[in-house]
Amino acid sequence: MMRSRWCAPLALAALLAATLPACAPKSGRSARTIVIWEQMDPEERVRFEANLAAFRQTHPDVEIQHTPYETEQLRTQFQTAAAGGGGPDLVFGPSDQVGPLSLLQTIQPLDQALPAGFFDRYVPSSLDTLDGHIYAAPDQVGNHLVLCFNRRLVPQAPTTAEEFVALARRLTRGGVYGFAMNLTEPYWLVPFLGGYGGWIMDAQAAPTLDTPAMVQALTFLKGLRDLRVLPQECDYQIAETLFKEGKAAMIVNGPWSWSGYRRAGVDLGIAPLFRMPGGRWAQPMVASKGYSISVNVPKEKMPLVTELVEYLTSPEAELRSVRELAILPSHKDAYGDSSLVQDPYLAVSLQAIEKGRRMPVVPEMRVIWDAMRPEMQNVMNGIKTPAGGARAMQQAAVAQIAAMKK
Amino acid sequence: MNATIRAPRSFPYLLLLPALVAMLLVVLFPLLYNIFLAFRNMSLYHFTDHTFVGLEQFRELFAQPVLYVLFGKSLLWTVLNVFFHVVIGVALAMLLAGPVRGRALYRTLLILPWAMPQYISALTWRGMFNYEYGAVNLILQRLHLPAVPWLSDPTWAFLAPVIVNIWLGFPFMMIVALGALTAIPHDLYEAADLDGAGAWLKFRHVTWPQILPVLTPAVLLGTVWTFNNMVVIWLVSQQGRPADQTHIMVTWIYKVAFTYYRYSYAAAFSVVVFLILLAFVVFTLRRAAPLEQAK
Amino acid sequence: MSAGRRRPVHVSVLTHAFLVLVSLATVYPILQIVTVSLRPTDSLYSTSLALIPEHATLRAYYAILFEKQFLLWMRNSALVSLAVTVFGVVLASTAAYAFSRFRFPGWRMGLYSFLLTQLFPATMLMLPLYVLMRALHLLDTFAGLTIAYTATALPFCVWTMRGYYDTIPVELEQAALIDGCGPWTAFTRVTLPLAAPALTITALFSFMSAWSEFLVARIVVSSLSLYTLPLGLESLAGVFQTEWANYAAGSLLVCVPVMALFVFLNRWLVSGLSLGGVKG
Repeated sequence: MMRSRWCAPLALAALLAATLPACAPKSGRSARTIVIWEQMDPEERVRFEANLAAFRQTHPDVEIQHTPYETEQLRTQFQTAAAGGGGPDLVFGPSDQVGPLSLLQTIQPLDQALPAGFFDRYVPSSLDTLDGHIYAAPDQVGNHLVLCFNRRLVPQAPTTAEEFVALARRLTRGGVYGFAMNLTEPYWLVPFLGGYGGWIMDAQAAPTLDTPAMVQALTFLKGLRDLRVLPQECDYQIAETLFKEGKAAMIVNGPWSWSGYRRAGVDLGIAPLFRMPGGRWAQPMVASKGYSISVNVPKEKMPLVTELVEYLTSPEAELRSVRELAILPSHKDAYGDSSLVQDPYLAVSLQAIEKGRRMPVVPEMRVIWDAMRPEMQNVMNGIKTPAGGARAMQQAAVAQIAAMKK
Repeated sequence: MNATIRAPRSFPYLLLLPALVAMLLVVLFPLLYNIFLAFRNMSLYHFTDHTFVGLEQFRELFAQPVLYVLFGKSLLWTVLNVFFHVVIGVALAMLLAGPVRGRALYRTLLILPWAMPQYISALTWRGMFNYEYGAVNLILQRLHLPAVPWLSDPTWAFLAPVIVNIWLGFPFMMIVALGALTAIPHDLYEAADLDGAGAWLKFRHVTWPQILPVLTPAVLLGTVWTFNNMVVIWLVSQQGRPADQTHIMVTWIYKVAFTYYRYSYAAAFSVVVFLILLAFVVFTLRRAAPLEQAK
Repeated sequence: MSAGRRRPVHVSVLTHAFLVLVSLATVYPILQIVTVSLRPTDSLYSTSLALIPEHATLRAYYAILFEKQFLLWMRNSALVSLAVTVFGVVLASTAAYAFSRFRFPGWRMGLYSFLLTQLFPATMLMLPLYVLMRALHLLDTFAGLTIAYTATALPFCVWTMRGYYDTIPVELEQAALIDGCGPWTAFTRVTLPLAAPALTITALFSFMSAWSEFLVARIVVSSLSLYTLPLGLESLAGVFQTEWANYAAGSLLVCVPVMALFVFLNRWLVSGLSLGGVKG
């Protein structure tokens, strides 16, 4: 190797290679470092970081690292990391992630790991029990779908399905739709299923999708599409766009979207979803998000981790930015706070939750969603009848659950 | 060509060892791990305690029609994409290799789809395909053509990601072709001109044979990458819509692994994909583009 | 192409018309992304086709640059991508030379093995990659990212460089050897300069492999301080609510260094043997 022109670049490459390991952060996990992997909407995360800063004021020697993940990746990577003995101390995400994670024994049953009576502080509707154990400490309750409407177009929210349909038809003119809704996700189908008296599974977590209630719910939604009170190809983004631009008078969406609508200049009103024919109120799913503790947290660290969880689910933490985020707290004591009581959106939100029903957190949930989704789309697109769709859903759910358990 | 150069015996090994080591290190273990998994029953209920089940996963895989349907779709997906990537890429490269005014600007604009992060490009295209509000249908209607239900009809919903992927992929082929074209010496063309050859003959006998050695890896690997491309279909069809009709093999594998947690089944499926592509590569290299090029 | 001969006017016009059309079709979706970045309402879509939205604002650019960690992400991405480019070019150019000029036991297997690693669906390789990286203590390091990206970029680079070397007559190196050069010098002084276009493709491809890659980064990196651009942008996306304007602005800014690199490398795509008379 003579004085070649490439000696220099090679040397550079070698130098770079030598420096690379040094660019790694000092990831030595000390006893006073807590690592959290979380799935949050960007606004939620802002509040979270503010809460972490407040916690550090009283615990200046504690370092907290958090990494955002998307829902699926959070679950998958936590699974792999925790099963291999690594991963974070805390994992924060939607309540249904405890199903698979508990099955893989990667998160601790908190009713045993935390002091007795720990969960008495929470509103009962925010807690989920799986196989007799509680796996997550919630910091919110909600995630429920409500009827959102543009007050400039809709002075008063409809309370029955008949009123709703009449209103939607009346408002559909001049390039404006009376209604818009995500017709592609079964989460939006479920409230109507509940309103007709049905549900997605029974007490043994077996799917109950082929029921008259399901057929009625599918017929109702398909009927709306046939009446053309909403666009033919309506998914989440399109429904949002129309509502934000004032081209749809009403939309069905959850608390995560309200601040975005208000910021877009919509005069937003919300109301619980209406009564279905037959007298029952539509039953949206209610879910929490919470903190689960990894099985890999050493015993000595548990008190610190417990303290952090306690703080993050305390009234102080949960009430921060509560009006902007419209997220209802899980802590009982937070409900006495005046900001909560006086905010009109939160009051209505609470009413809507009372009409809702807890989302199951069993591992079979995913499969059931996945079985419902294509058939719901088929029915909406007119490829299958509601009855055929319901039957297909049930068959797919049963088959896939069996395959999953093999 | 390919005559050897006199050098110490160890010379070629030294040249390629670093590359080989790096690559095998990172890819070999995951590959072997998947093959290992394919013979077991790893799933949600058997995550750490999976057992050997022999060919069970493969038996189930081959018994279901979904494998064959998806294979057909993967094939169609790949052929359509690669064909247009190459045709458009080479055509543009030929135009831009020559004395065209403003070619630097054209080249820069035409590389944008490659430079742009795929996620937002795919979602933007999805918006453009919306039946009522999308730009594509609006343009079609201006041209007095009927609007197309791009995302709700299974056939069109298959074509939509194809169009997006063609848009995403032609710049790469164009760059490779440009690089290849610049290597062609002018005297070859001058000789052809002297022989009175027209444009098509020049292309067929001068240009094409000269760019083939450089274009071949791009087309070969491009085919493989397209076959295995999960992201574009996933994003444009929003995970398979409508009704799980817009799937190719790899998107289905992703779904089975991460929605149903059937990791071993997905691994078996992946092994089948691997074998299909292996057969393709071996066939192509033996027949169409032998490693020893006759000059 | 046919240098020195003026092209007929109608060919010129057709050429330009075609190029303009294709450019428009290519650029239009990008313009849509610009529109999203200017929209004040954080909406990905709109019912209006206007390129400049109502109440257009540059707020998103300000937010992404100064309120988010965009500059950190860019620095991290630049570091990793440049390292991958250097390693990719160095390793590919040498390995490909071996495959092009030499026939040694195992050369076919070696060449094929570079290809074989690309055949497996990438998504299934992610989890074992995590396990591997963890075992090697490469998680959450730039080294881990660099090694992973270089390994994925190598197959294409090696094969392309090899194909390009095959078009360079071996007589040139043999002449250099006769003149008293060793094989390494012949390689670096004679062959490499002539392979500039292929080196350019290799450099660009290696850079892009690292710059815009998400899956591997997601697996390897979990510290915010090591976030690359794709990870950073991804953190702007929620389940339903995404900061679309910021995301679009960020995506456009992500393009800029790539375009700059391309413009910089462009001149080498046209040099090499088109000087004429070198090959015979």
